[in-house]
Amino acid sequence: MTFRHTIARRFVLALTLLMLVLPLAAQAPERSDEIKSPDPKWVVGDPAGPPRTGVELEKETARVASLLRCPVCQGLSVNDSPATMAQNMKRQVRDLVAKGYSEEQALLYFERAYGEFVRLEPPLRGVNWLVWAAPVALLVIGGFFVLFMMKRLQRAPKNVEVASVDSATPGRDTLPDDEHLAHYVLRTRELAYGWPGGLSPASRGEGGEESR
Amino acid sequence: MNRKVLIAGLVIVVPFIVLLVMNLGRDPHKVDSPLIGKASPPFSLRQVGTPAVVDIMSLRGKPVVLNFWATWCVPCYAEHPVLVAGARQYADKAQFVGVVYDDQENKIVQFLAENGSSYPTLFDESGQTAIAFGVYGVPETFFLDADGKIVDKHVGPLDPATLEAKLRLAGAFR
Amino acid sequence: MVPLIGRTLILLSLLAAASGAIIAFTAGSRKSVVGALWARRFAYTYAILISSANFLMIYALIAHDFTVGYVAQVGSRATPLWVTISSLWSSLEGSILFWGLVLGIYVFVATWTCRKHYPEHLPYAIAVWLACGAFFSFLLAGPAQPFHTVLNPPMDGPGPNPLLQNHVLMVLHPPFLYLGYVGMTIPFGLASAALLVGRLGHEFLRPLRTWLLLPWTFLTVAIVMGGWWAYEVLGWGGYWAWDPVENASFLPWLTATAALHSALVMERRSILKGWTVTLVMASFLLTVLGTFMTRSGVFNSVHSFTQSSIGPTILAFLAVSLVWSVLILAMRVDHLSAEGQIDSGKSREGAFLANNLLFVLFTFTVLIGTVFPLVVEAVKGVQMSVGSPYFNRMSVPIGVALLFLMGVGPALPWGRATKQQMIKALVPPIIGGVILLAIGFAVGARNAWTLLALFFGGYTAQVTLREMWLPLVQRMKGGAGIGQALVEGQLVRGRRRFAAYVVHAAVVVIIVSIAVSSTMQQSTEVQLMKGQSAKIGPYELTLQGVETVSEAHREGVLARLSVTKNGKPSGEMLPRMNYYAMSKDPIGTPEVRTTLTHDLYLSIMNIDERSQSVGLHLIINPMVGWIWIATGVMALGGFMATWPTKSRRNEAILRDAAQARGGEAVVES
Repeated sequence: MTFRHTIARRFVLALTLLMLVLPLAAQAPERSDEIKSPDPKWVVGDPAGPPRTGVELEKETARVASLLRCPVCQGLSVNDSPATMAQNMKRQVRDLVAKGYSEEQALLYFERAYGEFVRLEPPLRGVNWLVWAAPVALLVIGGFFVLFMMKRLQRAPKNVEVASVDSATPGRDTLPDDEHLAHYVLRTRELAYGWPGGLSPASRGEGGEESR
Repeated sequence: MNRKVLIAGLVIVVPFIVLLVMNLGRDPHKVDSPLIGKASPPFSLRQVGTPAVVDIMSLRGKPVVLNFWATWCVPCYAEHPVLVAGARQYADKAQFVGVVYDDQENKIVQFLAENGSSYPTLFDESGQTAIAFGVYGVPETFFLDADGKIVDKHVGPLDPATLEAKLRLAGAFR
Repeated sequence: MVPLIGRTLILLSLLAAASGAIIAFTAGSRKSVVGALWARRFAYTYAILISSANFLMIYALIAHDFTVGYVAQVGSRATPLWVTISSLWSSLEGSILFWGLVLGIYVFVATWTCRKHYPEHLPYAIAVWLACGAFFSFLLAGPAQPFHTVLNPPMDGPGPNPLLQNHVLMVLHPPFLYLGYVGMTIPFGLASAALLVGRLGHEFLRPLRTWLLLPWTFLTVAIVMGGWWAYEVLGWGGYWAWDPVENASFLPWLTATAALHSALVMERRSILKGWTVTLVMASFLLTVLGTFMTRSGVFNSVHSFTQSSIGPTILAFLAVSLVWSVLILAMRVDHLSAEGQIDSGKSREGAFLANNLLFVLFTFTVLIGTVFPLVVEAVKGVQMSVGSPYFNRMSVPIGVALLFLMGVGPALPWGRATKQQMIKALVPPIIGGVILLAIGFAVGARNAWTLLALFFGGYTAQVTLREMWLPLVQRMKGGAGIGQALVEGQLVRGRRRFAAYVVHAAVVVIIVSIAVSSTMQQSTEVQLMKGQSAKIGPYELTLQGVETVSEAHREGVLARLSVTKNGKPSGEMLPRMNYYAMSKDPIGTPEVRTTLTHDLYLSIMNIDERSQSVGLHLIINPMVGWIWIATGVMALGGFMATWPTKSRRNEAILRDAAQARGGEAVVES
């Protein structure tokens, strides 16, 4: 490996090929005859299930691939991305699934190389629990809060100050005693709610769908 | 002043602001490799332009510089002479290996013919080796120690100083 | 010369906004009539100055004046006029300048329409608007200066980001997004004013609702348009990837939608005032968060601008806005105490409260999913992702529950429902649900969530249509002719109500379409040589050849495919790959053929003219077209509800009523 050569564009191909082999020949590493891709077994052990083929293989491949982030894209899954990298990864997923590796094993294989970053769905471990539990917790707490507020609002005394007319709560068919004023209240209701004559459907005997 | 609202509001708002401040200057594209400190995945690939197959396991005993690159990658052009010179300079201290993926063999041969080479270049046709190493893009370089353990990973083109520093890390000068 | 004028205009707008904000705030707190007048004058001045800066930039872009920094950065002599104009918002500095234009227009119109009303509230609102304006003018004056002078102007520039040149939707999407985003400043100012004054009555609810509804409508269109653009351009066959920036636009939409509903309860019952104000403020704050997310480079997104230095500045603005909102809420919310009450949870009010809970839950879920990777990285130093599988899993149940509530809520009466009323209101729509479910099942829907969405979709559709129909029937029973009933009931008096149901109907269509299109997609990948064909669904596609076309600003390689549908010739499709002079990577343009039932979607994976071969991704996406159609309808409904009412008649009646009672006018306006 001590030879030197100048970088010349006119080098013939054959010469180059020879030189490509040379450094290695000098090094003389052992050679095996077949190309071995990294064996997933080495990382995630034996397949959890039986080998898969056909439609099942395609379906499972698409499902697992959609859980993997394409590392060179912006948040797209390996299943969706047209990038070469994603296509390669999808092929790798298909290989794994075909051999019978489970979803979790396949994901772990990629996770070992790319880190947790590659999983689009955070696995349930450690601090990740938060991202799954927090919305549920909010739903429960919020639900109780709404119920509590509803109870409190139901008990709240009607504030009479704001009532410009006696029917402070809209939708009631109560009317002020003053006949002139009652006329305006009816017209206002007609305008506001679209009730003919300002009378609610309930009071006209049409059922209570719209309002009461 | 409604104390409940104030406290509830501040409890939500302050940690949120702190979180965003802490993340200022974060580069979302930079992801640490989980492989560092672990054994290199075993693989064997065919050498470009030849039928010879090289097994990574056979290179143990010496630190390995494993450089992933491609002919369509512009920074790789800048990096190539550094590696060619480095492989010569540290010939007795470390084994340099190039792995090309997402590429065509005739283009690689042509590239090497034009730009020279001083170490074996392997062709990862299926891209599975790149995947096993968690490669995001090219160029990326892994430094393996004599036992085949991954010591460090460098993203982007190497310069001579970085190369030397990382080789030291891999135990090339021990 | 142009850069100098531009910089002057921006500095003046900063001056006008900053001093105007101070004057307006003082006028508000001192209740000064003269101060309020000057506040309005400063608002108009700011609007005119910042708009002028924008027009100057547009002029510089069209004139290819490369002495202007921004033009040198994004301009190009080769691009067509529409691209040249739209490059105003294609890059960071220009987008902030454009933000100023939109804010200027909003502030001008809002000030103008409110000038005769709300003398107490308006100065405070102007103060908040102008404070926001001052911030963005500050950005333009310093960290994101678009008008810096180029000493050695280039002969030609690189042109805007090729992704933005690839589709006309990209010209329309940003303006709509800005009209939505920036528009949230107006209700934020109004809500702040309501808090500062300490009063939020019926009279002030009107501008608040109108100015919330308008940006909401724009935001709705913008979000869907963004999805449509992604669908037509990015080539992966979907329209929504839960990308951080997509989420950023969705978050304020969720809170604004919740606010629109809680405002209705507030209108009816005089409760939830503080809550409505909180939601309105949150909508604005989330737009600022979105701005930060898009422009700080902290989030990994296809839509973000390149890494920039203005991240910390926007974060400071976000922090100030957040703290300001919390403080004024805490200080003043007790003044907005509930005056009314509710009778029962089994009522429309009850449904609205549940609706609000779900919207808040939705917002929280999307927000925590979006920022969670930041939390983990800060705590553990490990990068992780929260992607579409998480968001889909969480949002599908919430979405279906909301769809159900959309049916239940309007079916229930206000106040209190008896058991018979409940049965009468809630049982018949099951027919609609079952019908849609049966149709879905018949065409092959098997996914449980899809079937559930179909059932609730049918249920809600029946309720919605009945609610749209009912006022018409009642008016006709009351003796009106159909024409009169239609005009009066749907377009004049009952317009807001009718418009709301138009929006609801559209939402039903959108949710059902999303459910169907995302679970019933067919897709396959093929590699074709010239003359070979591939089949998908009823289609057969034959590759006729691969060609290169040259255009002024780009070159494209396209695959010419002849299409037959059920054996009958059905034209050609030309998916292509575009190569831009200034950009290394090619950008694919998928070809989409939309029909009423499905889209045929072709995108190129690889293409080679020499060997006349193409790798294609073939997809049949059912019902996607309905999402775009329904969004158009939704926008129509939104604008219909926003359109100003001739309110004088109502006001006159109320005033008369009050006078008849011997009191003062009860309405302020």
